[in-house]
Amino acid sequence: MANEEHLGRKPLHVLEKIRENLERLNDKMEVMIELQKHGRKDIQQPLADAPLDVMTLLSMPDHLRKTAMTVCRVGRATADEVAQHTHRARAVESAYLNQLVIMGHLKKERKGRKAYFFVEREAKG
Amino acid sequence: MTAMAKIIAVHSYKGGTGKTLLSVNLAATFAKRGKKVCLFDLDFRAPSLATLLKVEKSDHWLNDYLNGTCEIDKVLIDFSPKVGSTEKLFVGLANPATEAIRDMSGKDRKWEMRALGRLLALRDSLLADMHFDYLIFDTSPGLQYSSINAIVSADLVLVATTFDRSDVDGTKRMLRELYDLFEKKTEVVLNKVLDAAKSRKLEIEEKTKDIYQAPLLGVVPCFCDILRAEGSIVFAHEKPDHPFTRILDEMASEIEKT
Repeated sequence: MANEEHLGRKPLHVLEKIRENLERLNDKMEVMIELQKHGRKDIQQPLADAPLDVMTLLSMPDHLRKTAMTVCRVGRATADEVAQHTHRARAVESAYLNQLVIMGHLKKERKGRKAYFFVEREAKG
Repeated sequence: MTAMAKIIAVHSYKGGTGKTLLSVNLAATFAKRGKKVCLFDLDFRAPSLATLLKVEKSDHWLNDYLNGTCEIDKVLIDFSPKVGSTEKLFVGLANPATEAIRDMSGKDRKWEMRALGRLLALRDSLLADMHFDYLIFDTSPGLQYSSINAIVSADLVLVATTFDRSDVDGTKRMLRELYDLFEKKTEVVLNKVLDAAKSRKLEIEEKTKDIYQAPLLGVVPCFCDILRAEGSIVFAHEKPDHPFTRILDEMASEIEKT
């Protein structure tokens, strides 16, 4: 009881921070599971920008191409939105999207509770 | 976006299979049916629509839109008055100047990625905002960046092919290794068919379906009139009673059904 009261007095932002960190941890776990499934234990850090052009799309494994094509068409999407287009589970799409981020094909941006994935098309500099 | 709105890419494995003839006449056919249509020349290595439609100068080309130096409305040329007062036909042309062709041949992967983004954006700008019913992409043959960008952006790919052996083999490979990978709805148009008498129609249709294992949209016989016209006639507009025009009309009906 004393604990609950103590927790209630904790500033909300601390709890928010914990939730964000848990979500990040979840993202990373999904990526690791996906990488292990496809035997890509070697890729741990995001690669430098790798343009998502049509030749790259053509050379991708089918499961990733479907996800990448959906982001290309939609422009900017959460794992949930991609899953609605591909009719696959959100967790599966989340793993594929994070894998595409690691491969340098997609960018990821957090806005509050949601993670958005997109193709960075505009030229830098 | 209306439910009927569509982006159609006309593609082939080899050159000379009739992509441009098919694209121009299909666009004119849809326009005659009251649809608002835009025809694009995406063959930047060998642009042909500017010559075919006798456009010598343009302030903005499709090249400029893909380069990000202008918006798509600047590129569109209203062809409606030339085909009929009630028809709504627009064109977006590739720049036929040698320098422009050289420039487009030297683009890198990042540019091609941005070009894909700009082609995909036409769905919003032209279909949704400007209420076009059909966008038709006339592409370059084979596995060129511009063609694959067009295929990825399209709802339907029309594959123009002939019974030429190398074309058949290449088209079969593309069906399996290109259109299928992008999960594109694909229809075959068999062109330049010799001896396409009505009695052989079923035989030709079965042979084509058997070879390609893909739906057949239409069979176009080898018409001497088309060769004689030397690309200067839009049959769908100028020869409404020609058998080719009738075949195009049937194809348009099939596309509208899907």
